[in-house]
Amino acid sequence: MNARGFIRKLPQYGLPIATVILFAFLSFTAPSFLTGYNIQNISRQVAALAVAAFGQAIVVITAGLDLSVGATMALVSVFFAIGTLKYGMFVGIIIALAIGLVVGFLNGSIVARFDISPFIVTMGMASIARGIALTVTGGTPVHGMSEGFAEIGVGSFLGIPNPILIAIMAFFVCFFMLMYTRLGRHIYAVGGNKEASRLSGVKVDWCTVKVYLICGLLAAVAGIILTSRVRSGQPTLGTGYELQSVAAVVLGGVSLYGGRGNLVGVFFGVLFIGILGNGLNLLNVSSYTQQIVIGIVLILAIVMDSVLLRQEKARKSVTVKQAA
Amino acid sequence: MANLLRMTDISKTFGGIHALRNVDFELNKGEVHALLGENGAGKSTLIKILSGVYQADSGEIALNGQAITVRDPAEACHLGISTIFQELNVVPELTVAENMMLGREPVKTFFGMLDRAASRKKCREVLETLHISLSLDTPVRKLNTAMQQMVEIGRALLIDAKIIVMDEPTASLSEAEVESLFKLVGELKEKGVSIIYISHRLEEVISICDRATILRNGEVTAECQREELSLEKIIKNMVGYEVKERYPKEQHNIGKTVLEVRSLGADNLFSQISFKVRAGEILGLSGLVGSKRTDVVQAIFGADHYDEGEIFLDGEKLPPGNVEKAIESGIALIPEERKKQGLVMGLSIKKNIALPQLKSISRLGVINLWEETKIAEHMGKQLQIKAGSLEQEVQDLSGGNQQKVVLAKWLYTKPKLVILDEPTRGIDIGAKIEVYRLINNLAAEGVAIILVSSELPEIMGMSDNIIVMSKGKITGTFKNEEVTEEEILACAFETQGRC
Repeated sequence: MNARGFIRKLPQYGLPIATVILFAFLSFTAPSFLTGYNIQNISRQVAALAVAAFGQAIVVITAGLDLSVGATMALVSVFFAIGTLKYGMFVGIIIALAIGLVVGFLNGSIVARFDISPFIVTMGMASIARGIALTVTGGTPVHGMSEGFAEIGVGSFLGIPNPILIAIMAFFVCFFMLMYTRLGRHIYAVGGNKEASRLSGVKVDWCTVKVYLICGLLAAVAGIILTSRVRSGQPTLGTGYELQSVAAVVLGGVSLYGGRGNLVGVFFGVLFIGILGNGLNLLNVSSYTQQIVIGIVLILAIVMDSVLLRQEKARKSVTVKQAA
Repeated sequence: MANLLRMTDISKTFGGIHALRNVDFELNKGEVHALLGENGAGKSTLIKILSGVYQADSGEIALNGQAITVRDPAEACHLGISTIFQELNVVPELTVAENMMLGREPVKTFFGMLDRAASRKKCREVLETLHISLSLDTPVRKLNTAMQQMVEIGRALLIDAKIIVMDEPTASLSEAEVESLFKLVGELKEKGVSIIYISHRLEEVISICDRATILRNGEVTAECQREELSLEKIIKNMVGYEVKERYPKEQHNIGKTVLEVRSLGADNLFSQISFKVRAGEILGLSGLVGSKRTDVVQAIFGADHYDEGEIFLDGEKLPPGNVEKAIESGIALIPEERKKQGLVMGLSIKKNIALPQLKSISRLGVINLWEETKIAEHMGKQLQIKAGSLEQEVQDLSGGNQQKVVLAKWLYTKPKLVILDEPTRGIDIGAKIEVYRLINNLAAEGVAIILVSSELPEIMGMSDNIIVMSKGKITGTFKNEEVTEEEILACAFETQGRC
């Protein structure tokens, strides 16, 4: 019984186990992997992805999808840099966050108001955002910020790098929101059954707008972290982040069908993607090949999601029979 | 008559639990054989074995005296066994003809082009033999459930089905549509097609079947010919004890007006709807499917918009299209479709019950989890929800228990008006009686109740007053004791041309 229970639960632990195996494998094959410097490097790289992925997870739990995450980061990056040059860093940050919220609001309200596929809406939005970023800068990075500009990305507090602190804070805020607040419960309910939620008095449209707002805001935070790290406003920043964040979310056990999953899983999903990317770098796998790997991981994760859901359904129809 | 189908000694277990134990089942040519039993009695398992969805652990199936094995649904199809499930299998966007031919479209040899003429001819022939008038080019989504069902029956005949299994075919049909379905069943019999008929509506079963097999806990408890069938006998064999009062109607004190609807109207849906419901009153809302009963109650609840008219609750005007406000003012709606509208299947019992009350149990948006648990425990006990724990996901529960969760979630809101839209659809008789008791208890506490139902006996057995709707208009208002079934049906048919 216990062994059976464990095997049934195995898929839940599958990702942490896979992460550990990957970690062990890289420790042996890539000599520079298990060094303090590299570990810190991983966590810095992972931090921005983590923040973006938490936002993505919240959207996906409502059975939505945000493919504009990467482009939002680019738009934010450009205006964060320009704003800082003109009005100082504080105003730059405000502008950056506001841009994230605007993109999120547009995504959310279009999806909710016209009840159309978030896939198409956010893909279109991605093109718009990236296009604006490129137009404004003429395709070249924005330079000229002072040393202090890099503080968010490379500085640290009590020995912990700032990006990691920000990611940890984002984790706890989102975790708390999902598990203990009314909004969080509404998010799961809407993802699980929109109509039943509506008939229970949940303002479904508002809930949809809110999740895209949160996702846009977190994408802006991720954009700020990366922009600060490279000390320049990059119109090409965040390329691939939409796919990587979706991969991390799905790997982490959040179902694309909505209503299921939690942030702890997403955390491991991000870790896995981060370690994988870093490992491939250390093993001198080209960035072109890495794209192939990410694609494969994403598809595998989605296949797993669908297969697990089907298995669970089959198992449940049996337990219902037993109960009856 | 010779046996067309004979299933002998069929057993099937799921994880050590017997779903079927040594079940025998026979079917003659041109016979309507009813399969009865509570939810979980094993009806669906037996049908699924026949249609190749499951494999029996032991036992034999013989068709025309020859032993057969049905490995998958495609093979069942090939053998002439066709199943029409409760959830219809039609493609809404395709036309009637396209649906009927789906999967075996005739093609012209050249490039595999569709042979439309041939396909239309075949469909027309089948529909004509059944005396169904349906335009072949109508997209199926434009048809009502009854018509869609006809399309499925037509499809079954196109593959030369010798056995048609109908799983709860009348669950979402109104009385009139049931009649035409019965006529169709008669036609099928004449053509020598055998029918296995599964239904929870016992009166209907008695009137249509030639023979009935009753299951309880995976075993056959009775097999009898039509002449020997009676309601009491069926119920006794289904539940194992005699149910004296199916509708335990009680008299309550009726108080002041709770809900008043004044000439409510919505574009193309309904118009001039006016009525009152008083405290402690059970108002039955009857009518055929398509009479827009559901649209009216959804509008009252604020789930759908309306263009004209007013709704007053306790004398206060309700804003249109605002569910949250309706809940706050004390209206609860137990929706028609439990799974689609009533519950979030992947959430726990506790979280489902809490959903409409989140506002009252959270402060600054943070949910008081302790209070949430307390509510669920309280309601679970009150409604006797049978579950391992309140953390169990509702999709693991039986239909009756799921319905209790929906009731629990709404009753905790302490509503002044409860609207129940088909509250007993698809749940077994034991659970039905519990639901009826609950409705009576609510009325006794002074709650106003609107009961929407397609089952006339249910309406007549439970209501104090009855409103009949047809095509979006109220065509009759009656006191229960002064009305007959015929009068209600007459009103339900009013202005309703044959489709």
